Amino acid sequence: MKEIIRINHITKEFKVLNRREGLKGSIKDLFSRDYKIVRAVDDISMSIQQGEIVGYLGPNGAGKSTTIKMMTGVLEPTSGEILVDGNVPYKNRSKNAQNIGVVFGQRSQLWWALPLIESFRLLKDVYQIEDKQYNSIIELYKSLVDIEPLLHKPVRQMSLGQRTLSDILAAFLHDPKIVFLDEPTIGLDVSMKAKIRKLISALNKEKNTTVILTTHDMGDVDALCRRIVIIDKGKMLYDNDIEHLKSFFGSYRTLKIRVDGDLKAQSEVIQKEVPDFAVSADDEWISILVDEDKKKVMDVLNQIQSSHSIKDMKLEEISSEDVIRKIYEEGVE
Amino acid sequence: MKRKGLRFYLRIYFKILAQDIKSKMSYRADFIISTLGMIFTNIAGFVSFWILFRSFPDIKGWSYHEMLFLYGFSLISLTPVQCLFDNNWSLRSYVYSGDFIKYCFRPINLFFYYQSEVFDIKGLGQLAFGIGTLVYSWNKIGLACTPLMILKIVVFLITASLIMIALQNAAAATCFWIQNSFYILDLAYRFRDYAKYPVTIFSSVFKFIFTFLMPIAFIAYYPSLVILRPDDVPILTWLSPIIGCLFFYVSYKIWMYGALKYNGTGS
Repeated sequence: MKEIIRINHITKEFKVLNRREGLKGSIKDLFSRDYKIVRAVDDISMSIQQGEIVGYLGPNGAGKSTTIKMMTGVLEPTSGEILVDGNVPYKNRSKNAQNIGVVFGQRSQLWWALPLIESFRLLKDVYQIEDKQYNSIIELYKSLVDIEPLLHKPVRQMSLGQRTLSDILAAFLHDPKIVFLDEPTIGLDVSMKAKIRKLISALNKEKNTTVILTTHDMGDVDALCRRIVIIDKGKMLYDNDIEHLKSFFGSYRTLKIRVDGDLKAQSEVIQKEVPDFAVSADDEWISILVDEDKKKVMDVLNQIQSSHSIKDMKLEEISSEDVIRKIYEEGVE
Repeated sequence: MKRKGLRFYLRIYFKILAQDIKSKMSYRADFIISTLGMIFTNIAGFVSFWILFRSFPDIKGWSYHEMLFLYGFSLISLTPVQCLFDNNWSLRSYVYSGDFIKYCFRPINLFFYYQSEVFDIKGLGQLAFGIGTLVYSWNKIGLACTPLMILKIVVFLITASLIMIALQNAAAATCFWIQNSFYILDLAYRFRDYAKYPVTIFSSVFKFIFTFLMPIAFIAYYPSLVILRPDDVPILTWLSPIIGCLFFYVSYKIWMYGALKYNGTGS
């Protein structure tokens, strides 16, 4: 496998104005400016191979977008170095643009007034795509998704789902080596999400395109990514297989039970009985995240049974969503 | 990757243009109303001009028809900025909302890509009015129609357009640094109204400003001198084609500098 992105110890700092409060503060700000340096990305290194799908995760404000902007060449790192297919993105923006495709979940990059097919034809000229290559990719698209009804529809008349789909197709059109997808399934319904995941996965297989995916939807991660990178507060927390991550938390299991009475109220009572573990409730189940190193699931079950009548129960391995949440909240030890 | 020369950009521009006009025409009511609006705006401008001259037969030695010439000249020279660079007016909101970032990922010139997106077809009505006015006053003044005259007027029309475009580019680019740059853009836009009058009617302070700081005197006044008062042309006028190109280049550089240091907003 060939290395396609190389990131060595990059850091990005922003100068932010320390705003004072109130009107008086604002007036003071006009005259004396007091800046502080915020480190949005702090010493991140990674190497990404051709054809990988990497889930790039982190809570809001973690520095994901900043990293992506540096890889696409919009931002210059404060220090460190990035190579995208051998180019320094910031210095060689135009050449880098030829190698990448970018999709931002809710910001369409297509020509708003034009039908999709006309946008495609313009992109064909902009990226100087050969006729043969263009025709073959359109054929591929037709075999993957039902694009006929979309082709002659102006982008501004499309639903969000159709627009996202179109944006993804447009991003892959010039056969880029890397495609950056920033929250591609945000705001979409379940069936559209599934469709888009299927499309991304198929395009990745067919074209061996590297995909960098940022998302808050663990469904995307489970469906697409083998490798995930997690950052928070600009620092890298984790970079490895998703399976490996689960084994980190192998001793955790989710115990789900159903008892008489209102589940929300009962879950608060149970929380008091088992203070070591997180208890939550939804419409159907009360979930208890049990760390088996501390206490066996059977013991917890016995304990609860002594004071509640359990109608139903099931035991689940920890989901990636739970894993990620634990990392956001507690970090990786 | 092939080299991207003028032909590459022209080809893309005309493709976008054709599509844009096609899609605008498909919203028929919108198209008709905006065309009518443009016609009435021009008629209103012309009427107020006419009323002014019913009270004053000439302004500082400039006769009615000479003033009409100036008026027509300024209308034509304002057409390119209106038609081709209208997207400058939206720049502020793109930058503010963070949507400007979408222009940063294409392997073509950012300035070109941004401006090519909008073609304001209404400007063509203004062009027709301008040409009509110019031809009419040309006949009335009894100017000769030699190839040299035509060449002069074309060169100076291009010069005037470049200066107006430069002013607007520079004014629009301020939004990369200032959050509410609308007033600056609006100011630059309003100044063009003064372009319709000979600068001699202004006080020497404004004469200086309009010649050197906000060079709107080059939009219609100095070029008209070349045609109407060929013996009385300040030396600076002959340099104005070079000044026009220079101004355009500088404004382009400012615009690009702002755009390249653009960070976007969080998403």
